Amino acid sequence: MLAALLSTLVLALSAQAATLKLQSPKLVVTDSMGTQLRSDSFSLSKQVAEAVELGAKDILKMTFQVLDQETGNGVQPHQTFLRFYDEKTNEEGIQPVRVTPGGKAKFELNLSKPPLSLPPTPNGDPLKVSLIIGTSQYDPISVELFDLVLPKSQPAPENPLESTFHVLPEIHHTFRADNKMPPQPISFAFIGIVLAPWAILLSLWSQVVPKPSRLFSPSILPFVASLGAFEGLLFWYWVDLKLGQVLLYGFMLSLPTFFAGKTALASIGSQRLGRK
Amino acid sequence: MAPRAAQIQPTASSAVETLWKAYNDGTPNRLKFIDSFLFFLMLSGIVQFVYCVLVSSFPYNAFLAGFGSTVGQFVLTASLRSQVNPDNKDEFKEVSPERAFADFALGSIVLHFFVYNFLG
Repeated sequence: MLAALLSTLVLALSAQAATLKLQSPKLVVTDSMGTQLRSDSFSLSKQVAEAVELGAKDILKMTFQVLDQETGNGVQPHQTFLRFYDEKTNEEGIQPVRVTPGGKAKFELNLSKPPLSLPPTPNGDPLKVSLIIGTSQYDPISVELFDLVLPKSQPAPENPLESTFHVLPEIHHTFRADNKMPPQPISFAFIGIVLAPWAILLSLWSQVVPKPSRLFSPSILPFVASLGAFEGLLFWYWVDLKLGQVLLYGFMLSLPTFFAGKTALASIGSQRLGRK
Repeated sequence: MAPRAAQIQPTASSAVETLWKAYNDGTPNRLKFIDSFLFFLMLSGIVQFVYCVLVSSFPYNAFLAGFGSTVGQFVLTASLRSQVNPDNKDEFKEVSPERAFADFALGSIVLHFFVYNFLG
């Protein structure tokens, strides 16, 4: 069903589309002084047998007129291009061709001032020149006209983005060397040095320790015990617990500590004031 | 000139001696108790710092925890000492020694929490 519909559509299109033809297509090669080197005609049906060769300062001129095949009236196509294509390097250049409302077209390629879009020919390979005409209500035309041999040129410049289209070198991570423990004798020596202040502290305290007269009285002992429990909790945190657990337990422990501290310090304070 | 220098020398040392004697005689035992703790903290911090400079800062978190705990505890204890010192009573009229101790206990618990956190 769909295929039938498509085929009728194509039929209808082909029936509606008219065809174009070229009248008096001609190519002329002259040198810079204007001397005619070659004059030839070309056609849409057959490629020019002999390749067109241009010297460094030669000029290629192409003239033709676009006509309606049936009425013979001149037609100005919407788009008319000449395409220069290098099969080997896949480089191509497209040149627009100006066509008058009467369908007359004139194209000139002056090699002393080559257009930027002309593809580079570093090996002297021939370029395939084709004519492309597109306009509504007519069949499109895309026909190879002839081979064009240009003098050798510089190779195509490398695109500045070319280097970004390659695989990047593999990334090698470098890591800092592992930390080393100091030699064991030094470690042991410093263990002794670091523990030495404790001996000094204990010896000093043994001389000046105030009498803890009421440390174990029932009003003070809970406070001391809960402070000890806090230190134990923090030690446990270091050994095992997670942050959330230690915050929860710490909060739970803080309430009895608060009240125990309040009673203990109040009793100490009242004793101090009473003693005065 | 020489005799004069010889005269200054004993004077300076005797000043230190007088200071030490005055401290020994005029400071309550409770403050001496705190002072020995401060002295211990100072020594401990110095030793840890020397170890870090001379030998190795590895493991760095342990150094930070140890050094930070001595410094922080020194600050807390020094403020406790200044607040419970009977000579400073006029400076801290609103702060009773009990209140100062409660602050000290709370501050120490928070400090130790952070220290154990660093210890890893």
